[in-house]
Amino acid sequence: MRWLLTFAALLWAGLWAGALSAQDGPDPRLVRAADEVALAYMLTGDAEVDAASQAGLRGLSQLLNARTTVEPGQPIGIDPETDDLSLLTFLYWPVTDAQAPPSPQAYVRLNHFLRSGGMILFDTRDGDIAGLGGPDGGAALQALAAPLDIPPLAPVPADHVLTRSFYLLRDFPGRYQGGQVWAEAPPADAQAAEGVPFRNLNDGVSPVVIGGNAWAESWAVDENGLPMFSIGSGFEGERQREMAYRFGVNLIMYVLTGNYKSDQVHVPALLDRLRQEEVVQ
Amino acid sequence: MSGLTFDPMLAWPLVGALALLALLVGLWSLWRGLRGWAWRGIAGLAAAAALAGPALESGIRHKLSDIVILLDDRSASQSLPGRAEQTDAAVEELTRQLAALPDTEIRRVTVSDDPDGTQIGTALTRALAAEPQGRVAGAIAVTDGLAHDAPMLPATAPGPVHVLLTGQAQDWDRRLVIEEAPAYGLIGKPVTIRLRVEDQGAVPAEVAQTPARLRILLDGKEMRGLDLPPGVPLDLEVVPEHAGQNVVSIGFDAPQAALPELTDRNNSAAVQIEGVRDRLRVLLVSGAPHAGERTWRNLLKSDANVDLIHFTILRPPDKMDAVPVDEMSLIAFPTHELFMERIRDFDLIIFDRYRVRGILLPQYYDNIRRYVEEGGAILVSAGPEMSSVESLNLSPLGAILPARPTGRIYAEPFLPRLTEDGARHPVTAGLPGAPAEGSDSHWGRWLRMSQVIPDPRAQVVLSGAQDQPLLLFSRVGKGRVAMLTSDQVWLWGRGFEGGGPQLELLRRIAHWSMQEPELEEEALLADVGGELTVTITRRTMNPTAGPVTITRPDGRTEEVALAEAGPGRFTARWTAPGPGLYRLADGEISRVLALGPAAPREFEETVASGAVLGPLAQATQGAVLPLSDGMPGLRTVREGRPAHGQGVGGPWIAITPRNAASVSGMTHRPLLPGWAWLALIAGLALAGWLAEGRGRLRAQAAAGG
Repeated sequence: MRWLLTFAALLWAGLWAGALSAQDGPDPRLVRAADEVALAYMLTGDAEVDAASQAGLRGLSQLLNARTTVEPGQPIGIDPETDDLSLLTFLYWPVTDAQAPPSPQAYVRLNHFLRSGGMILFDTRDGDIAGLGGPDGGAALQALAAPLDIPPLAPVPADHVLTRSFYLLRDFPGRYQGGQVWAEAPPADAQAAEGVPFRNLNDGVSPVVIGGNAWAESWAVDENGLPMFSIGSGFEGERQREMAYRFGVNLIMYVLTGNYKSDQVHVPALLDRLRQEEVVQ
Repeated sequence: MSGLTFDPMLAWPLVGALALLALLVGLWSLWRGLRGWAWRGIAGLAAAAALAGPALESGIRHKLSDIVILLDDRSASQSLPGRAEQTDAAVEELTRQLAALPDTEIRRVTVSDDPDGTQIGTALTRALAAEPQGRVAGAIAVTDGLAHDAPMLPATAPGPVHVLLTGQAQDWDRRLVIEEAPAYGLIGKPVTIRLRVEDQGAVPAEVAQTPARLRILLDGKEMRGLDLPPGVPLDLEVVPEHAGQNVVSIGFDAPQAALPELTDRNNSAAVQIEGVRDRLRVLLVSGAPHAGERTWRNLLKSDANVDLIHFTILRPPDKMDAVPVDEMSLIAFPTHELFMERIRDFDLIIFDRYRVRGILLPQYYDNIRRYVEEGGAILVSAGPEMSSVESLNLSPLGAILPARPTGRIYAEPFLPRLTEDGARHPVTAGLPGAPAEGSDSHWGRWLRMSQVIPDPRAQVVLSGAQDQPLLLFSRVGKGRVAMLTSDQVWLWGRGFEGGGPQLELLRRIAHWSMQEPELEEEALLADVGGELTVTITRRTMNPTAGPVTITRPDGRTEEVALAEAGPGRFTARWTAPGPGLYRLADGEISRVLALGPAAPREFEETVASGAVLGPLAQATQGAVLPLSDGMPGLRTVREGRPAHGQGVGGPWIAITPRNAASVSGMTHRPLLPGWAWLALIAGLALAGWLAEGRGRLRAQAAAGG
């Protein structure tokens, strides 16, 4: 009997301590996200879509690990109602018709996430049917994104830093290609610097990138590392998958380094200036 | 003021016509040989005069006294030995003599020190304007003649202006003249100060031959010494060494001579050059793209004064893919150029989660170490890679880093806290929202840090998990190294648990590394507020700060005690006795403070001279006389006459009494009353009639007899 009481007291103490630490410590998944730059996706409630998102970000993480210095951990699914977004950097948000919009509190958190430097990639996954006049993901996207503080958007221009943050890209294919991709509109006074082939756009990072090319599906790999979704046909399809991965790499580099690549074109000029000053002295 | 006035009873032409008629009657009577012609004419004229109404008018006059302005100069230059006594004696003697003159008032005007020098012109103009022009009989100024407001001098004055110069004939002075000095200079770039040494007055021959031995100090430290003959301009190159006030003090000792120079206070000058940083060049090397990288970019890009050169290792050398190079946007990291050739052009190098992976050659690290020792700055923001085999500490750079990793990583939430040193250190002291006892303010937590063993010479200003060092500073040679043992400062920027002052902290760390004077731990600051009131602030990491020793321009010292105003801050308010160059010192640390003009204006020139006041004296027939030749006598002369001269008893000066009077009333008296006129005219007419009548009787009697 005595040992039972002791056991109960210990159990109680343990539970209490657990409750305390649960209240005190942040979610370990999110801590891991902060430590490892883990990629995050929005849970939509649609098991198929969520599985594709997870597999897609897993595929992209593996590719980043293989090819770049960015070494993300396992992707995590985010429920904006409960999770603290301030530990995240990148959030993939597949748009489905069925998903319920987040609560106002969640939108407050999402807006803070966007303002403080986070980025959301909205994917309507309708690159095959969008723009044909039929029903597409546009309405659902509008419903979801309306409460967000999103700046004016414009199609990503050909000289956007997204096109050169790691690979040189001309378009941003996913499982579908050719769809328009949108990002924060360049400021009206953007000027091309002398001798630089592109304008100095987006000093900062667009808080959202919006498209419909079903990127997660194109990146998705299963446990064995094999692609989960078919793209196009034959060699052409594999080329498109490679391009989709390159877009993924560029996007993550853009999220993490901002306009670094845009600035780097000025480095030779800065070094030149140092050289000239030395001559003058 | 009296005179004859007319008040005609008829219009002037009628009176004239009557007078003409009287003359014609007189002349006609003469022609007719009438004996009474003159009487008739006079009677007619008298009638005309009566009609003209002559009257005597006279004013009621009061004699007014003459005013003499007696101006004595009590400015600082008049405090030179002997001059004050000379002035006192002259003023006393003049007062006595003027008081002896009848109807003469004295207006005393005393000119004292003004920030703009001796304002004799202003004082004289004001005194003259305050008195009626008609009563000013003269002005006498007892001064050394060194007025600094020549344009304010009146062009002329109603009475003679005399200048009695103090000083001696054998006065001489050697002074330093700063002809040109820049107010701003780029740090590290030379600026030019043009100066010369000038001799004035009766310079002894043995001094005139010897050059002045100039001593030039920059911020109280001996810079160079050189000999400069008088009259030769010198272009002195000075390099401002730090931001803020660089005080260049230039001076020479008083030349040795039997008769010393008037003052040595114009033998030195302090030139204040505000050191301005050229654009700061920061090299940011990120070992890998990570969530905090944009934090650094935001900080450095938002500062318009920073040229940022940023390199991120996007792809390590050990990872390859099959993508052709022309489809990649990667450029090679110009390591040789950055770390060997250009390294001295950078003010700060930031290693942001940099891991040693064979990109930098060992000799580059050696070169970075040399760069720091020669005054460069490094900031290491270390992630978990510091505890790995790729740690920067294992490179040759490790020798100068302020802490050594143990290999342990604390992966637990922790709250960054100020250490005792941190509460005093200017980088962390006063960070907004610092967690403090009894306040609600609160910083967000960080989630990961590396355990390190700090170097004994390093300062730990922030502590993290289990009170392990989080932010460390150390000095290496002339340079500085800062180390952050966590890479999660970005969580503050993201607002995790409320966030924290991440930009401000990083900005201060970066600027401390670049030796920004505002962030020095040991600093002696002096804020000049108001005229000569100085707020002295001593910032120190020590628990106490001794009294500040202040060396005055004349070499005397005084001690000012400091009161604690906060952790590591001690302040005192102190009022300087006068302008000049003060040296503040507390132990090792000292500071030169220039109050007032470069050299006190009053002592710029000290040899008495009538050059400024001479033209006015000449224009008013006054004299410029040295008092050293004796006190001149005082006379009065008429206006317009020379008001000075050489008499038997020595020179004399004069005032011109103005005989001014005021008229307080007027009387108007007819010359004759009406009945007197009537009697006069009637009498004259009667006299004419009688003269003619009696004459005719006499003539008839003569003819009949």
